[in-house]
Amino acid sequence: MTTVTASIGYPDRTTVYWLIATSTLVLAPLAPHVPLALWGVIAGLFVWRYAIMARAGRAPGRLLRLGLVALVLVLVYQHYRTLIGRDAGIALLTGLLALKFLELKNPRDAMLCVFLLYFLMLGSFLYSQSIGLALYLLIAALAATAALARIALPGSALDGRQALRLAGGLLLKALPFMLILYLLFPRIQGSLWGLPHDAYSGLTGMSDEMTPGSINQLSQSDEVAFRVSFQGPPPAVKDSYWRVLVMWDSDGRGWSRGPPAFWPVLSYQSHDAPLAYEISFEPSNKPWLPALDLPGSVPDGLRMRPGYVLERNQPVRERLRYQLVSYPHYHTGDIEPAERQRALRLPPTASPRARELALGWRAQTRDGAAIVATALAHFRTQEFFYSLEPPLLGADPVDEFLFDTRRGFCEHYASAFVTLMRAAGIPSRVVIGYQGGEFNAAGDYLIVRQLDAHAWAEVWLAGRGWVRVDPTGAVAPERIEYGAEALRRLASRGQRFGELPPEALSLALGRGWFEGLYRHGRLGLDVVNNTWNRWVLDYTKERQETLLRNLGFEGATRTTLASALGVLLAGALALLALWMWRTDRATDPARAAYERFCRKLARAGLARVAHEGPLDFAQRCGRARPDLKPAIDAVTRSYVGLRYADLKEREHLRTLRRLVAHFSVKRGLA
Amino acid sequence: MSPDAITLGRRQVYILPTRNGLMFTLVLTALLLAAVNYNNGLAYLLTFLLAGVAVVSILYANRNLLRLRVAAAACPPVFAGETAYFGITLTNDHADTRLGVVIECRKHEVARVDIPARASVTVMLPVPSRARGYLDCPPFTVCTYFPLGLFRAWSRRIALAHRCLVYPRPARAEVVPPQSGSASGDRPGPAPGGDDFAGLRPFRLGDPPQHVSWKAAARGQGLHTKQFSGSGQDSVWLEWQAFAPLDGEARLSRLTRAVLDAERAGLRYGLRLPAQEFAPDSGAVHRRRCLEALALFAG
Repeated sequence: MTTVTASIGYPDRTTVYWLIATSTLVLAPLAPHVPLALWGVIAGLFVWRYAIMARAGRAPGRLLRLGLVALVLVLVYQHYRTLIGRDAGIALLTGLLALKFLELKNPRDAMLCVFLLYFLMLGSFLYSQSIGLALYLLIAALAATAALARIALPGSALDGRQALRLAGGLLLKALPFMLILYLLFPRIQGSLWGLPHDAYSGLTGMSDEMTPGSINQLSQSDEVAFRVSFQGPPPAVKDSYWRVLVMWDSDGRGWSRGPPAFWPVLSYQSHDAPLAYEISFEPSNKPWLPALDLPGSVPDGLRMRPGYVLERNQPVRERLRYQLVSYPHYHTGDIEPAERQRALRLPPTASPRARELALGWRAQTRDGAAIVATALAHFRTQEFFYSLEPPLLGADPVDEFLFDTRRGFCEHYASAFVTLMRAAGIPSRVVIGYQGGEFNAAGDYLIVRQLDAHAWAEVWLAGRGWVRVDPTGAVAPERIEYGAEALRRLASRGQRFGELPPEALSLALGRGWFEGLYRHGRLGLDVVNNTWNRWVLDYTKERQETLLRNLGFEGATRTTLASALGVLLAGALALLALWMWRTDRATDPARAAYERFCRKLARAGLARVAHEGPLDFAQRCGRARPDLKPAIDAVTRSYVGLRYADLKEREHLRTLRRLVAHFSVKRGLA
Repeated sequence: MSPDAITLGRRQVYILPTRNGLMFTLVLTALLLAAVNYNNGLAYLLTFLLAGVAVVSILYANRNLLRLRVAAAACPPVFAGETAYFGITLTNDHADTRLGVVIECRKHEVARVDIPARASVTVMLPVPSRARGYLDCPPFTVCTYFPLGLFRAWSRRIALAHRCLVYPRPARAEVVPPQSGSASGDRPGPAPGGDDFAGLRPFRLGDPPQHVSWKAAARGQGLHTKQFSGSGQDSVWLEWQAFAPLDGEARLSRLTRAVLDAERAGLRYGLRLPAQEFAPDSGAVHRRRCLEALALFAG
């Protein structure tokens, strides 16, 4: 009973146009994910469909259709070696959609095509959840819904523009329901059937080895590493050291984390107020996580390793949010014997010249702090330069750097410094992580990018514990004061680091108006992205629980939540229904007033019959009740004037309403 | 008695999902499972957006019928055996077009129309007529699959006070005997059979000029008047009693044929039934009154 036109004429030209156009919209983002051979088949089927419509070709018979289904199955299986899962499933659906096109016998077939298109939209989201794709597919959903309306109303006068308007209205009114369901529909942890394994390639993260150039490679990328929102004011750039990994072992060339350290993590003392913040960490496919020096708490699901670094069991493959407190000033106290031993180890034959230099310092004083100061002074006073494009180093990079090239960036300085300290008998280690970041005032959070990656050193001094020493700061204080981005700006202007007086520096660091505008735009966009991440990509079970807690549903049972969801949905439905009925009723006030008048007459036994025009009705009533004739004529004249003559609406409507209100079958016009 | 017009109120409109609607529910379920499995925020959003669209389309379907005025329109009389067309006027006083409004009668779709804003559309509900008398408009429903075909909204059965007058089925021409002496006019009525040219006679004053044979005049044969069988100012009486041996319905059938033929022949004719008599006259009104009397004859 759904259709009248399930006849030879189906499908009509417009339906086919709509379906082809909408399918093209929906399938376009899937283009890179479906094998090329299958695209060939699909394009062929589309052309065939068009030819059938243009009466230049014939619909395939049953046997041929089965053959085509087999062809699609074979193509998909050949490419993926399976027919299930995300990739194969989407390719299969795409092929079946194109096949269904050849077999549009009635509106139900066409509807099925649209339903498949909805499915494929979801398929696109499995590959990307960007704002751009979401907006694009919203337009596709609009087109698909308009196509559905056209299919459901065959033979109607609905043209393309009206169909789109109708679909737009439907989608717009569906938004409240979508939001309520999205926020409150119970989420579950994990997936139902498991996820494909190929989903996590191409994530950037910090490696647990530091070879010359490894950090420089990271610092080429302005990808966001993580974002931080502070509860209070953010710390200064020069104090923002985000530790990720501690490197214990050197092979003479590079540094590595080495085998897991197993001594207990020692507690430390601090008299600061804790600094509380939340980190939203971008997936890195690595298990380690940043924390501001020095973390004072361990979030759920993470643990703290020796060296005060955070780690979790599995690599981070989805954006991870965690809350932390840190203490900027600290006192770590004693050192474990195993720790001390490991923090002094050097490969026996490496870096002979560096050892010699360090032993010379040690001969002068046994005070660790003094040796550290001497080493920093050495970097500052000798001809050391900070360079983002250092010369390549050979077999013994520390010696070559310290005595020959003297050009390098953070990892060269950190590596050389720790080598010197260990040679001088001071327990020390390399720490890698991020330093600085860009504060986004528009969103009140700090953005730390891969290019903020940094390496520094920590030395253990008796009576003070582990102390952070950043040798890079001795050479290029701008790096520490202003961050990596400022350094890049200086470099791009051909300035050398560590040489400009403060006034010239701030001038050199100033942005032109265009650069400023660009930066504002970029930060604004990041706020949008961050909000999107927060509410779309990271809206997980925990976030939902937090939201519910904030809404006052702390510890609510599932039943309570389900009924709250039901009540909200019903409320939204009722409001929408009321609003729609109201606007309907309000459409014709003149008619409403006239109908009130008719009801009054009907009570006096003068009912207006279905096809009696207002004038005929007035005449009949006038004959039946000559006493009311003047009043009836007045109302009728006013109404007819409003309806059919070109009168100024508002004042005449007021007149009509007054006349109707005063009309009485007992008294005539009062 | 049922009214001749109703306006569909909230309690008179029902709504249920169609087969396509049920299929859409399945689609939504599958989308939800995919969203849950991949824990994909946008997939959730799409699923819930489409669920919202389905819910909103219930309101749209409901509104497409709500406050729709359904009224009986004209229904011209027919002869028994012909199809009666009941006019049904659908009036939309909303500011939006009502799209895809369907009239269904006895489970069959009769008409599918769009009703523009603040306008009326009259559709015809065809019903075969069998017997003479009044034929009532069968109850019908107004329904719609607007906007997406996922739901069907329908009105309760509408029985309008709407009837069609069905005249007796006219007898076939050859079975109607000439007015066998029953005419009480100046002379026996001529055989019916239309405006057959019967011959020429000399022109007499008073003959209508359109009957003058101008061709003959042009040939110099003088003025002649064309004579038609059945023409003239004769008046005949069509009498119930004239068909005495036949039963009632057969008589009515023949009388109906006689009325039609007499009217066509331009005669003045009177009709005499057992309890009613219509004085000789002619014209549409007279014809209608005679046929109505025959249709409603209760003897």
